[in-house]
Amino acid sequence: MTSEFQTLVDELRDRTERVRQGGSEAARTKHTDRGKMLARDRIDGLLDPGSPFLELSPLAAYGMYDDGRDDAYAVPSASIVTGIGRVEGRECVIVANDATVKGGTYYPITVKKHLRAQEVARANKLPCIYLVDSGGAFLPMQDEVFPDKEHFGRIFFNQANLSREGIPQLAAVMGSCTAGGAYVPAMSDETVIVRNQGTIFLGGPPLVKAATGEVVTAEELGGGDVHARTSGVVDHLAEDDAHALQIIRSIVNTLPRPTTSVVAEVEEPVADPHELYDVVPTDTRTPYDVREVIKRIVDASRFHEFKQLYAETLVCGFARIWGHDVGIVANNGILFSESARKGAHFIELCNQRRTPIVFLQNITGFMVGKEYENGGIARDGAKLVTAVACSVVPKFTVVIGGSFGAGNYGMCGRAYDPRFLWMWPNARISVMGGEQAASVLATVRRDGIEGKGGAWSAEDEEAFKAPIRDQYEHQGSPYYSTARLWDDGIIDPLDTRRVLGMGLAAAANAPIPEPSYGIWRM
Amino acid sequence: MQRLLIANRGEIARRIIRTARAMGIHTIAVHSEIDRSAPHVHDADEALLVESYLDIDAAIGAAQATGADAIHPGYGFLSERAAFAQAVEDAGLTLVGPSARVMEQMGRKDAARAIAEEAGVAVVPSYDLAADASTFDYPVLVKAAAGGGGKGMRIVRAEGEYAEALASAKREAAAAFGDDTMLIEKYVESGRHVEVQVLADSHGNVVHLFERDCSTQRRHQKVLEEAPAPTITAEQREEVTSAAVALTKQVGYENAGTVEFLLDNATGKTYFLEMNTRLQVEHPVTELVTGVDLVELQLLVASGEALPISQDDIQLDGHAIEARIYAEDSFGGFLPQAGTAELVRWPANARVDAALESGQVVSTSYDPMLGKVIAHGRDREEARRRLLAALDETAVLGFTTNVGFLRVLVATDEFRDATIDTAWLDRAEVAAPSDDLARTIAAWVPAMLAADHGDQGAFRSDGFRLSAAPAPTRVELDRVVLVDRARGLVDDVPVTQFSAANHVVRLEVAGRRVQAVVNATAHSVEVVVEGQRFVFERPDPFAGAGIAVGEGSLTAPMPGTVLAVDVAEGDAVEEGQRLGVLEAMKMELALKAPFAGTVTTVGAQAGEQVALKALLFEVTPDE
Repeated sequence: MTSEFQTLVDELRDRTERVRQGGSEAARTKHTDRGKMLARDRIDGLLDPGSPFLELSPLAAYGMYDDGRDDAYAVPSASIVTGIGRVEGRECVIVANDATVKGGTYYPITVKKHLRAQEVARANKLPCIYLVDSGGAFLPMQDEVFPDKEHFGRIFFNQANLSREGIPQLAAVMGSCTAGGAYVPAMSDETVIVRNQGTIFLGGPPLVKAATGEVVTAEELGGGDVHARTSGVVDHLAEDDAHALQIIRSIVNTLPRPTTSVVAEVEEPVADPHELYDVVPTDTRTPYDVREVIKRIVDASRFHEFKQLYAETLVCGFARIWGHDVGIVANNGILFSESARKGAHFIELCNQRRTPIVFLQNITGFMVGKEYENGGIARDGAKLVTAVACSVVPKFTVVIGGSFGAGNYGMCGRAYDPRFLWMWPNARISVMGGEQAASVLATVRRDGIEGKGGAWSAEDEEAFKAPIRDQYEHQGSPYYSTARLWDDGIIDPLDTRRVLGMGLAAAANAPIPEPSYGIWRM
Repeated sequence: MQRLLIANRGEIARRIIRTARAMGIHTIAVHSEIDRSAPHVHDADEALLVESYLDIDAAIGAAQATGADAIHPGYGFLSERAAFAQAVEDAGLTLVGPSARVMEQMGRKDAARAIAEEAGVAVVPSYDLAADASTFDYPVLVKAAAGGGGKGMRIVRAEGEYAEALASAKREAAAAFGDDTMLIEKYVESGRHVEVQVLADSHGNVVHLFERDCSTQRRHQKVLEEAPAPTITAEQREEVTSAAVALTKQVGYENAGTVEFLLDNATGKTYFLEMNTRLQVEHPVTELVTGVDLVELQLLVASGEALPISQDDIQLDGHAIEARIYAEDSFGGFLPQAGTAELVRWPANARVDAALESGQVVSTSYDPMLGKVIAHGRDREEARRRLLAALDETAVLGFTTNVGFLRVLVATDEFRDATIDTAWLDRAEVAAPSDDLARTIAAWVPAMLAADHGDQGAFRSDGFRLSAAPAPTRVELDRVVLVDRARGLVDDVPVTQFSAANHVVRLEVAGRRVQAVVNATAHSVEVVVEGQRFVFERPDPFAGAGIAVGEGSLTAPMPGTVLAVDVAEGDAVEEGQRLGVLEAMKMELALKAPFAGTVTTVGAQAGEQVALKALLFEVTPDE
């Protein structure tokens, strides 16, 4: 019998398989017929043989740009593939345009995904490799792509500043690189172009003709030979995609080596990770012991628990994942004052020891009610939020169930800069539960109606609440979240240990500074 | 005999040392400068540097200096030099071999032939050099009296070719042996090379150890040798063995010798060819089928003892086949190879007489034979199958050997059916094995090494992909090969690994069990499978001299003066052809066509001053 969880995972794999294909079959055929490799094939060709690839947000843009003619897959992966893989033995961030999807143009979420990849590179000090093949901004949506702070221009701002920070910026021009896009190779430390295929110009032939009347071919205007021999915009000329990728690898080989940290020997969990599907209920309202999850994720299923007997709704403790020391903070029920204080204490410990923290988030929120408010739960919640916000160690968040309200903040939601945030396919995320939101809004409305002496029937109230519940149901879905890059991807629970291990390995490239905090509300 | 000097090198020196040491004899090796750390030097009890293995005085001097009482010459080098045998005798030492007198007689083909005729042994019909060439029964063979190894030898099929063939054979013989005496004899179109091993002591005892068949030859160089002869009849065996014994007695031969016969396939007649007055390369096949240690008997006989065995003691046991391993590219014109043997693997389940170890340098200074692999079976087919298995386990990495060629040859129907005559290899084409199997292995191994022996952390090389099947490992060889380890596929060819250790992998590839020796580096993957060596170079993105300018434009690399213009617009040019010359900064630069094509532009005239990057020529490639 297929478990409910298996059904969720099958759905995830089906959707991932669909977006991994990229654009339409016609677009892909046209692309490969020109001797070009597909975006993910380029990445495979760049990576070390057999290297894993930690793709970021493959389901970005899922269901976002449904234009009525297409389905949820109108812009697979937001027309850009990003992630972390090994090149010449070191972890690198790779950003590859997918020209088979709308010509590789930048939708608003494409820009966000590109910027997110650069953010990952900065936080973990990973070299950036851009495999450029893009028509630039998606013009119909230019107002959401071009002008604002976190829009297209930020890509080049980041390149300049990443380079300043000593994070290598490498580009291979494997297709168009027009207008603003021309700055991706131009702003890179070292650049390769594919002959008779890659082009770089600020204005393409049609624009040139319109502006000055000059008739010129793309190759004459900004082809490989021009830029490698005459303009000096690029540093290396490649015969084809495969050659360009080899040159990039050779460049990475010349980069100074990062100092590698020593990790403990890796031990597989003793408890079978496959049992995660059975021990975790798919309905986030059903309670279970989060230790059942922890022991299926950590090395040798060994968990050194901190304050096991105190504030039992927040489980804290030390463990190893793929040989890396980690502190784990996991919800085992609602957050009380003492849970928040325990969490803050533990997070301070991790910072003091420079131990990365993994948050396993399954939280409906902080306890409410007179007793708790009067007891100062907000004061203790603030301590937890301060500890999380000011942490200097790498943080990793996995939403394994609900992510609601201030619990999201205390448990290192997206706003708290975890190095990576992943969601399980059963996860839910919203400011509060749909039922609670409907009830709150219905109460406000009932008060308004009844205050004016009116009456509100149970039927009318239900008719009022139903669309609110539906909205929360729709927007609370992990697919709604991942499409908008509120996370770095939905993962199969079975892959939790692996992606955390890769995240920890990537994070180990960046040094950890001295911990310091703001004012603790005591 | 207490102290034996071995005036030889390589596998035969090691072979002799092995038996001598077993007999409690102190062994002394000699070695040249480049053989200072050769295996035979390590094997011996003592070793001495000599200028050359061909230096008679040095060998005698070495024997005297080390107090040796006997010298074993092995084969080749001094082994059949009567002058050497004489020098040994003169120095009061014992030569493990016949007397100088006998060596002198048998060493000359004309003299040997006369002796054979006296002993009543049939010889190939011959003709007098002075006779009228029109009376010869063509084809005839013209060969040097002092010859060997195919040098100074010509087959003449018609009278018209005779004079020229004789002249060139004479020139070759003069150069090779310093003696251009020629013999002319009937040429047997299809024959088998059969030779009889004899042993004689100083007490008048002569025995034969049956025959060997060495018909698988290439240009008179033996490739495969076996015992007993596969096609010989009882009558023919009786004929050649009794003739060999008669001849040995006639000439008063002592020690081990080999009497060679030609067996005419058309008539079934056997003809005496020559007698080799030494231990043969192929002696192990006789040892395996008779159970006799020929070197041991050589040493006993040389010590003056009587042969401890009689003819009746010598019985045939099964069949043995020997393959000679050479440093040569058999599928590339049989060119000799040299280099460092990076990795050497000899088979465990066959006799190996070899002197090649991992790390050893093989130069072209000496014979390119590296060793011999000899298989023994209850019958010929069993021996053949065991030899195939042994060759599959034989691998030399670092340079190419003929093992792959031998492997293909032993597997042919012709060898299996024993229909190969002495000329077969000179007319038949032995197909080189395809590189498909080797490429599959060459891709599998680096993928396996990366996954199983690389970083075992979270970034281990298992091709992990988020919510998808693992990506196959891309291995860049001469082309990209995809290795899907999870499904056991290499470019859709099913592969199962049984073991991998110490560079040796055992795999099943598309249902076929293979063993390969593999050396994978950052630059290349070298594979020896079924004896054949394949090297797959990995791409080097900077290996080329950069990409030539597009559209074949040649521009002035410096401002200068055009000195010459060699072509006109519309001319067809070859790649690399000079189009013109530019003088600049006191240098003359030849401007050459980057590829074959047509000159479409000539941008300057001779004597013209041109600016930097001025277009001088443009070539359009041919479609």
